[in-house]
Amino acid sequence: MPTILQARGLTKRYGAVTALDDADFEVGEGITGLLGSNGAGKSTAIKLFLGILSPTAGAAQVMGKEASKQPEVRARLGYSPEHDCLPSEISAAEFLTHMAEVSGLPPSHARTRAADTLRHVGLFEERYRPMGGYSTGMKQRVKLAQALVHDPVLAMLDEPTAGLDPTGREEMLGLIRKVHKEFGISLLLSTHIMGDVERTCDRIIVLDAGRVAQEGDVRSFTQETETVFIEVAERVEELLRALQARGTRAHAEGAGVAVEIAHEAEYDSVRDALVESGAPLRRLAPRRHALTDLFQRPKE
Amino acid sequence: MTAQTGQVYDTGFRRYLGPREGRRRARMGVYRDGLRAALGIGRGGRAKILPWIFIGSMVVTGLVMALLAGLANRIGGEGTSAELNLPSHAQFYGTASIMMFLFAATVAPELLCSDRRSGAIYLYLVRPLTGADYAGARWLAFLSVMLAVAWLPQFVLFAGLVLGAQDTGEYLKDNWLDVPRFLAAGVVMALYVTTLALAVAAFTTRRAYAAAFLIGLFVISTAVAGGVGESLDGTAGQWASLIALSSVPVYVNDVIFGKASDFTSGSPAQLLPEYVHVLWWVLWTVGPGTVLWQKYRRLGA
Repeated sequence: MPTILQARGLTKRYGAVTALDDADFEVGEGITGLLGSNGAGKSTAIKLFLGILSPTAGAAQVMGKEASKQPEVRARLGYSPEHDCLPSEISAAEFLTHMAEVSGLPPSHARTRAADTLRHVGLFEERYRPMGGYSTGMKQRVKLAQALVHDPVLAMLDEPTAGLDPTGREEMLGLIRKVHKEFGISLLLSTHIMGDVERTCDRIIVLDAGRVAQEGDVRSFTQETETVFIEVAERVEELLRALQARGTRAHAEGAGVAVEIAHEAEYDSVRDALVESGAPLRRLAPRRHALTDLFQRPKE
Repeated sequence: MTAQTGQVYDTGFRRYLGPREGRRRARMGVYRDGLRAALGIGRGGRAKILPWIFIGSMVVTGLVMALLAGLANRIGGEGTSAELNLPSHAQFYGTASIMMFLFAATVAPELLCSDRRSGAIYLYLVRPLTGADYAGARWLAFLSVMLAVAWLPQFVLFAGLVLGAQDTGEYLKDNWLDVPRFLAAGVVMALYVTTLALAVAAFTTRRAYAAAFLIGLFVISTAVAGGVGESLDGTAGQWASLIALSSVPVYVNDVIFGKASDFTSGSPAQLLPEYVHVLWWVLWTVGPGTVLWQKYRRLGA
């Protein structure tokens, strides 16, 4: 897998505060999730790759070049920030044409690309309306479109589902998957929402306090973290004993038992244990691991 | 009846294989957008009101001056307009400077403030250009507009005077030097107001604050210069009256035309050597220019 972004000993300090501390990681083709809680160093890492910030030590390279020293390399990057960044008084078509031109495309090509990109993100009909009247979902689409209009090698999306309702979030995640699968553009998705990462990303890099806490394929994380929570009305102790007697890794949690499912056959054990213990079942559902679970694991 | 048939094609996403013109195109894009922002092109109707009122006023001023001078020369003979002390090329920037300052104070902030207020500045800085490139392109865009605003009425006035002259050839022979002079004086005016207005605009995200600060700066400095300049005698009064920021480029205009305009003729600072006025203008142009450059250089690494 060719490397697009490479952080080597990447360190950024703001006075006494260390935002990134000797971080080493690579981002290649595909959709990579950059995960971490607020202040973990995600936005700083993105700004270092984009060359908006200069590192205190180490290097943030984009296709072997540092954007802070060679801004031309940014022509092959896209960026959609978390915060508002759209001028309200001009139309999406005009704004995207301008952004394409500022990315280095000649005006005639820029106009065509702007119209095409707006069509692909579902804003073709609305493209001549001033953006001040757009909904949050439409604005997120324009932000995504401006990051793609110049056909970058990789686009960095900072919290792309922020502020969206469940339907809007689903549509945005669908668009993100489409951007890679159909457009062939690699993505670095910065988020603190585990669900977004699980549903879109191929790889994951977890930052914690400026350091790389975890990295690897998303599938390996989700396989390892498949926990089922069994909520019962009573007889928690009996259920736990029945599960442990069948060799299942389980522990009591409040009004239920958390079971780590290593393979599908263990669901039979769960069924048998419920029957044997006589515990009245209220709910049985896979549990999403919280981000903190990932952070607490030792780096592999 | 034959049913119409048609096909719908899904062209899908196409990779961009055309030219990529890098930083040069990026700067040009920011420049072009700066021109459009300054003139309200591609924006709503309200964005067009201020710039076009000012441009219209400047041109009308030039036109009225041309008509008056032409009429006087027609009726009273060649040179009557000069005898009647009607406004001329040398006088124009003194007369129009207030309008130019107001134009720069109210329109120039639009080129910088709105991008920082909306956050769009960060979308520029992640593209193949630096903060200094951005500020430079915006500066050049507003300078172009200011040059047009400064020169257009002078050309109108010149055309009016040429057409009003009884002997066009003779008039051109005697007055052709006015053209390079008003072009140079226009550059002086435009450089000064553009740089100062954009340097102030670089420190706020609110266009109204920048405009109010600039207008206040001109009004207060002029009032202070008038008061202090008159209360102090001799050289001290002359130096003190230099503080009037609205007069800084007009003194250089006087140097270029070789005579004091009505706007500056009563000021004690007029008695200072010409090089002082030129250096004072350089200071007030290069200084804010450096501040602007430093401010935006830090934004992009």
